[in-house]
Amino acid sequence: MTFNATTIIADKTATITLVGELDAASASAFRTEVEKAAAANPEHLVLQMSGLEFMASAGLRVLIFAKQKMGANVDIYIVAPQEMVLETLQKTGFDQSVIIVDSYEPAVTA
Amino acid sequence: MQSLTVPGTLDSLKPIADFVLAAAAAVDLDKKTAYKLRLAIDEIATNIILHGYEEAGLEGEVQLSAVIDDQKLEISLEDQAVPYDPLQTEAVEEEELQRPLAERRMGGLGVYLAIQGVDQFRYERVGDRNRNIFVMNRPQAAVFQNGDRS
Repeated sequence: MTFNATTIIADKTATITLVGELDAASASAFRTEVEKAAAANPEHLVLQMSGLEFMASAGLRVLIFAKQKMGANVDIYIVAPQEMVLETLQKTGFDQSVIIVDSYEPAVTA
Repeated sequence: MQSLTVPGTLDSLKPIADFVLAAAAAVDLDKKTAYKLRLAIDEIATNIILHGYEEAGLEGEVQLSAVIDDQKLEISLEDQAVPYDPLQTEAVEEEELQRPLAERRMGGLGVYLAIQGVDQFRYERVGDRNRNIFVMNRPQAAVFQNGDRS
């Protein structure tokens, strides 16, 4: 399956939805979306991963890039990763630097 | 023996994955084991293509072969890029894996995922070729072996 990444920015939250297979050939498309998200200076970066079926270390490197580009105080949420993608995040210690959740509900603003 | 020869470019990662997953299916590896094998080979193939060929200004091919016996599936990757032994270079330390992302280096993660994701990994330099060998034990063989030894 090919890779697709789309970004929506609303209320200080950038949401990138990742679908398909993320390897070294497709990582640049993800990186482009991260740059687009970073340009909006969001407070949260939300990565919707339920449709992401494969992730190689090239995807991890984009996560490092995102953290370093946006700054340590921008929380990165990873939403509903599939089992093996989650295992890669845990094995490499990335689960300590991102917030892994089953679903992400944007904070209600008064 | 099944084999596949592809150009040493990132477009080849997809046919490489298809080859590995077909070999994994032929020996009934479960989904998680097949994923780990595919990930391991994807990581090393990526290093061969990006560092062995492209960064060195070289063009070449990546050859895969799969050998199946009663106990294991063995997939070899061969290339004629610059000599590169994943076991000797760049392996990320456990300490590095504990670091927050804000302080992470970019390198070494792929080799780490590759080597610890398979049952056995070997590297050989054969003439002007690198040969990376990935082994996954077959589930039935593991049961038989245990029974045999007890």
